Amino acid sequence: MGGLTTLWRMPDNDAPSLISRLMAFALVLLLLSALFFFSFSQLQYGWNWTAVWQYRQKFLHGWMTTLLISVAALGLSLLISVFFALARRSRLLPLRYLAILYIEGVRGTPLLVQILVFFYVVADAFGINNRYVVGILTLAFFAGAYLSEIIRAGIESIGESQVESARAIGLTTFQTYRFVILPQVVRRILPPLAGQFASLVKDSSLLSIIAVSEFTLNAQEVNAFTFSTLESYLPLAVGYLLLTLPISLFSRHLEQKFRYAT
Amino acid sequence: MNRATCTRPFCKKIPKCLWPLLLVAGFAVSSLAAEQQGPLKVGMELAYPPFEMTDTTGQPAGVSVDLAKALGISLGREIKIENMSFDGLIPALKTGKIDIILSSMTATPERAQSIDFSDPYLQTGLCLLVRKDSSVQTIADLDQAGMTVAVKKGTTGHNYASKELKKTKVLVLDKEAAALLEVVQGKADAFIYDQMSTYSNWKRNPQTTRAILKPFQQESWAIGIRKDNTALKEEINSFLKDYRAKGGFEKLGDTWLLEQKQEFKRLGYPFFL
Repeated sequence: MGGLTTLWRMPDNDAPSLISRLMAFALVLLLLSALFFFSFSQLQYGWNWTAVWQYRQKFLHGWMTTLLISVAALGLSLLISVFFALARRSRLLPLRYLAILYIEGVRGTPLLVQILVFFYVVADAFGINNRYVVGILTLAFFAGAYLSEIIRAGIESIGESQVESARAIGLTTFQTYRFVILPQVVRRILPPLAGQFASLVKDSSLLSIIAVSEFTLNAQEVNAFTFSTLESYLPLAVGYLLLTLPISLFSRHLEQKFRYAT
Repeated sequence: MNRATCTRPFCKKIPKCLWPLLLVAGFAVSSLAAEQQGPLKVGMELAYPPFEMTDTTGQPAGVSVDLAKALGISLGREIKIENMSFDGLIPALKTGKIDIILSSMTATPERAQSIDFSDPYLQTGLCLLVRKDSSVQTIADLDQAGMTVAVKKGTTGHNYASKELKKTKVLVLDKEAAALLEVVQGKADAFIYDQMSTYSNWKRNPQTTRAILKPFQQESWAIGIRKDNTALKEEINSFLKDYRAKGGFEKLGDTWLLEQKQEFKRLGYPFFL
């Protein structure tokens, strides 16, 4: 009994052994597979993978498009969010209100409406007809609103006393941010940041309403041609997982790296 | 069956704890039986006026809804309209979520591999909506590099464009309104859709669009039925024949599509409901 509990339990002061980690992982994987295997075995469904296999090129094309859109929107949203997080704390009131209006406006309205309005109204008025550019911009501004609040929360979680201490030892504002605040903020906001990035990847599927030929739209098209719903959508789930898992893994890697910062 | 009516001796041998189980089982069997004679579930996408739409109170209305109601009366079954997206209709029919599809669906050979179709009840064709200042006159003008066409996802126009227009860029949209907007704003050179919708879209945007109503592909609409359901198929076919003989379709056309009917007659294009 004692051996069993130590196998499944996290030791108090030590990392768990490789065997117990593998065992625990295998147990959870087994239970989940059993659940899904049972569910799928109960399904009365005429599987037809060959029809979907013919469209593999389409899936690949859509996946690549989603990958490119996501990477571009991700980078852009990070820039946008840092700007608005700082603007939200700015002493310049117009800047501060701009940030508040942007954040509340974007977070409070559906992405679907934003995409439609940006593409068919705003972009059209400014003569931007490239739907991919508009899609990336909309997505970046959408995610940016959430990210900037995550960043602001991170900055404000650093105690005032640290800023005062930094000033006392003669650091400039820039140095204070660079050497005192930022390293701590990055470590604290990494988990919610990774979650938000994964959301961004999945939210890119909504760009299909302005005919951006991304992953979800391509899967829906294959479904429309072959009428094989599950065969079209299951690869979709796997494809998105392939995009979001690296984000989680990379964020965990960074968390380890920044552990020494405090 | 419940305990109070059970007087036979063997009932006493059933342990008390099993009674709830029996009751549940009995209920399940009786509800299953009721379901078989229950309402006929008609799948349609209520986003295709004036065939499938909702009235101002949110109730389903239109040509197909009236047709479904008449079918219900003929079969002696209540009908229940299930609103779902067009490309979800065939999967829903195949998995038994709905009993028939009555949603302005063209009977194509591809679809006929998955489901059965009744006799056709309407003839129409694919045609083009272009910008008013566009030089496009026929479908052949569109099959060139640099041309862009808008289609609605899962429609025969979508299928045609992806198979026949090899050089053209195809924009696949979820909503008819978005595809229309693509043409109005000049982002797409044409919207491939059926004659009646193209006509209405043109009438609503006469300043910016032009309809080329001459069909380049004839098609006919039919009611979708599950493959194994031959009894229902025969019932529906005889209903359609009967309904046509009684002038039901004439009346539907006069109620919902009078303007289109007259305009198509004037232009000399086929319009048969």
